Formats: sequence, C-alpha cells, structure tokens
Amino acid sequence: MTQVLFPDTLDQAVALLADHPEARPIAGGATLVAMRNAGLVDSSHLISLDRIAGLRGIERLADGRLRVGAMTRHADTAGSDLLTGSLMVVRKAAGMIANKVVRNMGTMGGSVANADPAADYLPALACADAVLSFLGPEGARDVPILDYVQDWYETALEPGEILTAITLPAPEAAASTYRKIARVSGDYATASCAMALTADGQGLRVAIGACGPGPIRDRDAEAALHGHLHDAGAVAEFAAALVALADPVDDVRGSAEYRLALIPRLITLVLAELNPVMEAA
Amino acid sequence: MAKKALFTLTLNGEDTEVATAPDATLLETLRDGLGVLSPKRGCNQGVCGACTVLIDGLPVRACLTLTARCEGHDLRTMEGMNSDPVMATLQRHMVESGGVQCGFCTSGMLLSARNLLAETPRPSRETVKSALSGNLCRCTGYRTIVDAVCNAAEELTP
Amino acid sequence: MSLDAPFAGSTVGKPVAKVDSLEKVRGQAQYIADLYRPGMLHGAILASPHPHARILGYDLTAALAAPGVVAIVTGDDVGDGRMGAFIKDEHAIARGKVMYVGEPVAAVAARTEAEARAACRLIEVRYEELPAVLSPEDGLAEDAPILHEHLADYIKVFDAGSQGNLCSRTRLEEGNVDTAWDQCDVIVEGEYTTQAQAHVSMEPCGALAEVDANGRVTLWSANQSVFRVQANVCESLGLPMSQLRSLTPRVGAGFGNKMEPHIQPICVALAIKAQRPVKMILSREEDFEMVRARHPFKVWMKTGARADGTLVARECRVLLDCGAFADDSPGVMGYALLMSGGPYRIPHMRASGQLVYTNKLRFGAFRGFGNPQVLFAGEQQIDQIAEKVGLDAFAMRRKNMLREGDTWFVGPKIASNGLARCLDVVEQAASTPRADGRPRNFGLAVSAHISGLLGTGAIVRMLEDGTISLNTGATDIGQGSDTVLAQICAEELKVPLDRVAVASPDTDGSPYNWGTTASRVTYTTGRAVKAAARAVVDKAMDHAAEMLECPIEDLELREGGRIGRKGANTDLTFAQISGRAHWAAGGPIVGANTLVFDEPTHDPKRAIALGLPFPRIGVFSFAAMGVDVDVDPVSGQVSVHEAWSAADVGRAINPRLVEVQLHGGFVQGLGYALVEEMVWDGARLANPSLMDYKVPTMRDVPDAIHTYIIEDPEPSGPFGAKGAGEIGLNPVVGAVANAVAQATGARHHHLPLSGERVLNGMTGAGG
Repeated sequence: MTQVLFPDTLDQAVALLADHPEARPIAGGATLVAMRNAGLVDSSHLISLDRIAGLRGIERLADGRLRVGAMTRHADTAGSDLLTGSLMVVRKAAGMIANKVVRNMGTMGGSVANADPAADYLPALACADAVLSFLGPEGARDVPILDYVQDWYETALEPGEILTAITLPAPEAAASTYRKIARVSGDYATASCAMALTADGQGLRVAIGACGPGPIRDRDAEAALHGHLHDAGAVAEFAAALVALADPVDDVRGSAEYRLALIPRLITLVLAELNPVMEAA
Repeated sequence: MAKKALFTLTLNGEDTEVATAPDATLLETLRDGLGVLSPKRGCNQGVCGACTVLIDGLPVRACLTLTARCEGHDLRTMEGMNSDPVMATLQRHMVESGGVQCGFCTSGMLLSARNLLAETPRPSRETVKSALSGNLCRCTGYRTIVDAVCNAAEELTP
Repeated sequence: MSLDAPFAGSTVGKPVAKVDSLEKVRGQAQYIADLYRPGMLHGAILASPHPHARILGYDLTAALAAPGVVAIVTGDDVGDGRMGAFIKDEHAIARGKVMYVGEPVAAVAARTEAEARAACRLIEVRYEELPAVLSPEDGLAEDAPILHEHLADYIKVFDAGSQGNLCSRTRLEEGNVDTAWDQCDVIVEGEYTTQAQAHVSMEPCGALAEVDANGRVTLWSANQSVFRVQANVCESLGLPMSQLRSLTPRVGAGFGNKMEPHIQPICVALAIKAQRPVKMILSREEDFEMVRARHPFKVWMKTGARADGTLVARECRVLLDCGAFADDSPGVMGYALLMSGGPYRIPHMRASGQLVYTNKLRFGAFRGFGNPQVLFAGEQQIDQIAEKVGLDAFAMRRKNMLREGDTWFVGPKIASNGLARCLDVVEQAASTPRADGRPRNFGLAVSAHISGLLGTGAIVRMLEDGTISLNTGATDIGQGSDTVLAQICAEELKVPLDRVAVASPDTDGSPYNWGTTASRVTYTTGRAVKAAARAVVDKAMDHAAEMLECPIEDLELREGGRIGRKGANTDLTFAQISGRAHWAAGGPIVGANTLVFDEPTHDPKRAIALGLPFPRIGVFSFAAMGVDVDVDPVSGQVSVHEAWSAADVGRAINPRLVEVQLHGGFVQGLGYALVEEMVWDGARLANPSLMDYKVPTMRDVPDAIHTYIIEDPEPSGPFGAKGAGEIGLNPVVGAVANAVAQATGARHHHLPLSGERVLNGMTGAGG
C-alpha cells in the first residue's frame, strides 16, 4: 500500500526521497495518479510537493528573468501577464494542454519531469531557452532545457532529485507562439512547433515537439537562417535541417512519415503567423 | 488489509471523517468510502470528465486527485449543490433543452458549467465549448448542452 | 400533482422533458456502479495475454490465499453451455482455449475491487500458445488454424453456411446483374475499407448478481435488453430461465455494446460460487478490450448507370472481421447487404458477404449496424456517377430514389417515404452562402434505416385511483424511450403524462422485449403500448356502459381520463371506474398487447436470398444530410463548418428527443468519419484508453448543425411514428467523404478521413 508524504520544505522532500529510493515525487498528479489508477505505479511512497512553500507561481527575478515554480499550474501559466513577447510561446503552450479542468490540476514541473515527448511544454521551453533547476542530495544544479531529454522518457533528472523550478530568460519584445496538430481538442500533439523571433526580428528560435524523444532545435540552422526569413528557399533549408534531426515514431496519433511531413508545414504556418509582427517591427 | 488512513474532509459544507487507503483518490473516497455517487468513474484516467468535482470552486478530476491533498479545502459534488440557485437554473435549462440523455456525464458537465458562470457570467458559445471541452458526452452531440448553459447564463445575467 | 388537474392537452408531438431528467441533473440517477447489496463482494477479471492458446491448467493457490478473496471462477466452473444471438459459440468465460487478447480467463470475488484486482494478478494460467488468425483473409487461407473446432455442432438460428473459419455467408440477388453491365454507359468500381470503432458509452459495462436461498439469481446490469441478458446468462450457465431475474438500473448509454452479454454471465457464476452478492464494473481499458466494437469492413462495390444517370445495376461484396465470436455479426452483415443498394431504384442488384472468425475481440452491433460501412462506398459512387453524367448531387438522387409503394431490395414494401422532402429542405438550406464568403465544400448523402424486428409487448394497468402503470420491458438507455412510450400511452388514454408511471424492465414482471436496439422501440414497442392502452380504454368503456346504463356506442373518452355520454355533461372519472373494477365488478383493469414484426423481408418471387439472418425486418425511415467542410491546408485535417440533417421519422412523438438523436448521431458519425479508430499492434489493441482513442469533444463539433424533422406518417406506426435512433448517424461518412472530394479533388476509400490520409490525398501521395 502506497503512503503519501507531505514534506513542508524542499530539503525534507529530498531527505524523504533519499530514505525511500523507490518513492516518486508527485506534483499535480494529472499524470502520476492516472498511472497509479492503471496499476503502473507501485511505489511504497508518493512524496507530495503540495505543501512546500515557494513552489507555486511565476516571479520576476532582479535581473529580469522569470522563475516558474515547479508546482505552478497550467491554468496560472496560461493566464500569466508576465509571459510576454518571446515568452508568449510558453503561455500559449500552457493554454493548449488538455482542457480547462486538467489545467487546474497539472503543473509545469510535473509535466516536464514526466517528459512525455508529445506534451506541450518541452518544445515551448526549448524555444524559450529555459533552464531547469534540480535539487538533490548533492545539492542544487541547473540544466539547460536542450540537455534535459536524453532518450525516450529518459532525462537528466537523477533518482533522488526534484525538479524545483524552470527559469526563463527575460522576455524580449519579439513575438513568439505555439501551434500543435492534434486529432481532437485537448489531445497530445501529433506534431507541434514553438517559434520565437529573435530580438532583432531577423532570426528565429524554433523547437519541434512530438517528433523524437525530446524537443528538436538546431542552433546552427537558426544561425544560418538569420537575416533570411523572407527567403523561402532558406526557410525550406532550415525546415529540412530540423526534419533531418527528427526521429518520430508511428503511433495512434499518426505515422512517422506524417510527422516528418508536418514539420516544414508547421514552420511555414507559424512563420506566417508571426509575419505581421515582423512587418510591424 | 493494510492500514487505512483517516482523513477529515470539508465535503459539501460539512466536516466529514473517512478512513481510506492512504493513496486513495478522491473519487474512490467519495464513492466507496462515503457513498457520494454523483461523481462517476468513466475512465479513471482524467479524460472523460464524469468524475468532475469542485475544489475551492474550481473543477478538477476526482480520479486524479489524491484524497490526502484535499484536507482543508472546500469540496463540492452535485449532492451539495441543491441550495445553489445558479445550479438550479443550469439544471432547469439542461432539462428543458434536452441536454440530458443517459445522464452519466451530466453532474460533471454541470459542475464545470457552474464554475464557468462564476468566472464568466455571460460566456459566448465558444467560451462555453472551451470551458466544457474536458467533459465528454457520447449521446447529445453537445449542442443542447451548450444551449442550456447559454440560456441559463442569459436568464441569470440578463 | 393533483388528481383533479385538468388535462394539459395532447402530449404526442410535444417536446416534453424526459421523465428521468430531474434525477439525472441532480446527480441522483443510479447506474450499475451505484448499486450496493448487503454483504456484497467486488469482482475483477483476469484477461488473456494471448490471442489464441490452449488452457492447460490454472494455479489458483496464491490468489485464493490473497487478502479478501472469497471465490474464483474459471472455465472449469461454467459447464459447456454456449450462448449467442445467431450462432451459439461462446462460453460464459474462456474454457479450454482463449480466443483473443483481453478475453476473460478467470474472475475473482473479494471484499474490495482493489483486492479482487490484486488477486487476479496472482492467478497462474498455463497456456499452450496456438497460431493466431488476425485478419479475415488469413482466416480463409487454406492452412489457417481453425478457431472453432466444433463449429458444425453449434446451434444456429439461420442458414449460416458456416465452415472452417467462415462464421456465416449471405447472398442476396435481384434482377440479372451479370448481363446488366452491358446496359450501362457509366460504371464506377472501387474497394473500400472501414475501421473498427469503439462504442465509448460514457458508462463502462458492469453487473451485480445475487443468489437467494433457493438458488434463484437476481441480476442487475448495464444493458439494452434485460431479456437478452437473461437468455445469454441462462444459455451459457445452463440455468432455466425461470431461475434468473434480470433487472436494470439507469443505463449510461448503449450504442449496441450493451445489447448482448458482456460480463453478466461471469458475474452470475461468481455470485453462485461465492454465495454472496458480487458486483463487477469494468475499467475503461477492459471495456475497450473485451466488450465489442463496430466491424471493420472490406467493401468492393460496382455501380452502373445509363448516360442520363438512371441507375441500372450494383454489385457489392463485403468481407467482415467477426472477431472471436459470432455475437450480432451475422445480423450486421446481412443487414449491411440489404442496405447496400441505398434508397434507390436499382433493378439489378447482387450483394454477398463473408464473415470470418479471427482472434480479436468480438465485433458486434453498433448504431447503424453495417449501414454506414456500405454507405461510405455507395454514396461516393452515386456522386461519382452524377459527376460523370453531369447531374448535380441532388438531381441524381431525386432521379433514382425509391418512392412510396416501391419495393426495397429483395422484397420489403415501402409504405411511407419522406426522402424527397428531406432532400428539398437540405438543398434549400445549404444553398445559402457562407458568411465568410468562401464557396462551400459541400457533400451530400442519403440513407434509409429500418425499425421493426422481433417481439415486444406492453402491459397497461389502471390503478385504483385511475392513474396508470405502463410496463414494457424496454430499457431506456438515455435516449428517452420511457418518455416516448409514456407519451403514446397518455395520448391513447387521454390522461396527463404525469399520471403514467413507467415500470423499470424486469424479466419477472415485464412482457418480453427483444431490446433497445435497431431504432425499434418507438415503432415496435410503441405499437404494443398503443394497443394495450386501447384495451384499457375498451374495458373502461364496458364499465362505464354498465355504470351509466347506456350502450357503449353512446359513450366517449374525454380528455383528462373521463368517460361520458355523448351530448351530456356528466361523466365518470377513471378513478370511479377503476374503483368499481377493483372492488365491485369485473376485476382490475389491465390491457396487454404483444406482437412480433411479421412482414417478410424476402419475396422469393423477385429475389434470391441465401443465409438471410433477419427474415422479417421492418419499416423504413429516410434521411438526407449535407455537410460543408473545411480542410486545413497544413495538416489535412477536416472539420465540419456547417451541417444539415433531415430525417423522415414518420411522426415525431417527441420532437426534442428526435432532434437530440440527430445531433448525437451526427457527432458520433463525425468521430467515425474523421478520428476514431481502434488500432491493433499485432494481436493487442494499441489504444484501449481514452488517452489514445479519441472521441470528439465539444470544441470539435460545429455549432451550425441544423436538424429538420420530416413527418411522412407510417401507416403501421403508433401515431405514424417510425425509428429515429440511427438514421442521423448513417449518412455522415458519405456526406463528409463527398465534401472532402469536392474540397480536395481526391476520393477516399479508407476510413477514417484522418488529417494524414486527406493530406496524402491533397499532395498526391495517395489517399
């Protein structure tokens, strides 16, 4: 029978994880409780982060960066006025997760820790150059989002560590957005695209979701595209670079082939959406 | 049988003690522990919405909520909405519009709608669909449910 | 309510609220999972991990020793009885062999559901794996492993022609197809595949059984027919039907999935073994894996017409994946073939099909039962011919449609037909321009569907105070049959609706009802209700004649439930009449009627019919549907912008409930057309959850679904009514496919029309 523990501090939570190596930290529960209900979790302990102060909400740091507590619910992220410009992509992604009821429960930390390749946050955070903060028995460490997913459902988060916060760079004035293709409203993505204009309006940051174990970004290709956003050939070449990095699977949401076909189409679509902003800039 | 945990819940305005498995979901506790049966187990995966209840006024999935997290929060199920005039209006319009067919989704659907009208007294049809899209219905085709919520909103906030 | 309240007027034709609405909006309606009995145990199922394997033995030691466990049932406990609607080929629980992944192989009763589920995992079953058949083609192969070794010995209720893995075959033929092609100027031909669709009623299946001191069983379950439950449990467990009472709580919808058995036989076997009440509620995943689903079809169809568009000939061949057991499959295939010509005059028709056992869950009835699958092919071919001969879609259909007095394929007469009016309203409504100015991507389809089929009955009793009890045995699955039947009863008796109480179906007290299926309750049971209510009126008249000392011819039935002398003000209330009947003379007033639909399907003088599972089928409802779709140029995903659904239901006893049938049918059909698909990874279902199997949400459905009720009264129907439950689903796949063809220029032969398929069609990568 699984016990649920409620530490009051992060240090207590880390200590409890050390005491119960097979225990699982639990955030909003939207994924982990569903797995428990399906008989897929048999940990002796669940360590709830529910009562730990300071894990909820988005705050602006002194240097302008934004710190999103791991226990910040999707609904709060989707409604946050702090997420503007280049960070709008994160807000938009939050608003497209599942449905309103699930957004009242699920948290950014829980979603990122679960690392479902088809979930919405990872590409948005990759596009935003987020940094993940972990706390473990060896202390705190930061991991850039692009170093986070290592294989299918395998991440840099070590056993005994807790994801405590997601830090986003200070928002730039440039526009950003998120689009996903899904079978029905609220489904996980068949393929998704997070895109932000660079501050100078001349380049892009693009991350593709659901087409490999983790979000796909290519900084070299982004650099090559810089200054050539209106060159269809250059955009096509850029898209081809991301397609080359993709490693999609066939599943019930679509074939690998379909996902590869969607990548350049999504890039063209989202770029066109950002275009009016580019023109205005 | 393994040792049960004792929880004190504020359910429909009353403090209620219940002994359940320590990791029991709120849905298990309500249905098996307390005989509160309006939340339904449609999927137990948080997709269908038939178990939707209000916690501090917000609709959540009872099947994805650990009971242990619910102490100290205001829990509402349809059983506790009898004296709520907004719910009474929603219910009447659901009946009149034909939004009730098999009824299995109805409590969850109405609780989501109740929260929507608290946040947005005169929602557009699109807003209704967005707020209720996490509550699946396989009978009505949804149209009459959207009608019911909009008609109730119009009556409550002319 | 006051017994003196004036009669509110006629209720037939009025959109009265459903009689079960209030308890449902208040969260008080009780479904199977909400029922509890003293001392009740909870049951759970162990599912087969193999598609085809011999069961060599069970080791129950660990499971029996597990906390809370009271009893375990396996195939060793259920005897050799077999059940089945058409072919009795299915045990209560796997016995000797397992036939599909997910098939119940053992069941545990324990104090809690969690304990029962935990104990299931401790059961050890020794298997010898056998080669599996995973497609109908594989099943027909010469060296295919045989799934039912004793098929020849099974009881069959029709000429099935079973052999090898062929469960049944049906062939229907009228005219001379082979020579007719020469008369055709235009011929279209194609192969089509349709996918398995899951019913996804929001309530998963469940049952609760208890046994009394005499060994008699009481069984509550989620069902579409308490009588089919009774028959299936008794056949599979070898019980006399008098030893089992089958009841129903409220049902959280059924679309065919709850018509034939799910876990009722296992639940009864557990209760008998445990000698305690046992409740079993399936998880959603189990419901996906072990109940039933809509058949995947392979359809080959060829249609020919003259240069002016007059249809001459059609041939249709279907190949159905039956799954492991026959269930309703022979009926689905036979019905699909009957419907394969559509509502058209086609003088030369041939339709034939093969139904093949495979190692998958049983496929069975699902709203429309076979009609949508053949319609997907047929309505596209009608459009293709129209294009070739230069007719528009409406003109093509008007030119060829069946009329009143015509004969349906192989023989049924059509007494009422409002199809022309359905086409008129859809054409007129859809001719309006779109608000955004974009030309419409319009697709049209028409359909017909039967209502009738098999036996039914009604008992109407006048209570002492003159109020009414109506008992039909028809399970209301949420669609509102309790309300509609009460309306018919109230109308015939001229009493207010709230004076008619509707009894819950109970095999101990209700007259037989085959089931709430095939759009039949309003039409078939409604006829019995009307006749039973009329019998009550007649008896009340007899009393009144004696009480008022006048001939019956001088009496009239008056609104409010009164009988008086024509031309005189004084009258008798039903309370006065019923009081006399109960206490003084004649005995309590009961009206009863039973009937079976008995118009033959097949006219041997005009057609050949081999292996026809439904020899007496029903009367015809008609529908026309138009849709205007948007196709997303990026993803290929189709969405419906606007839809027009017109249905001839004879007479709408309750127009609101008919409208909701049309809306609900449209959205379920839209899910089938666009996104819903059960996918197998080898022998295992890859998406048995609502995370992975998606149905439309509120945001996936257009606001602008316009419904039109057309009333062309059916002479044999109660107040002219005929069925409305399926006619709004059937045409969706055809209308959407035709609209997608207009939008993209590509014809699609495979369902669902997913974004991927439509995009491939648009980019020339093949549909």
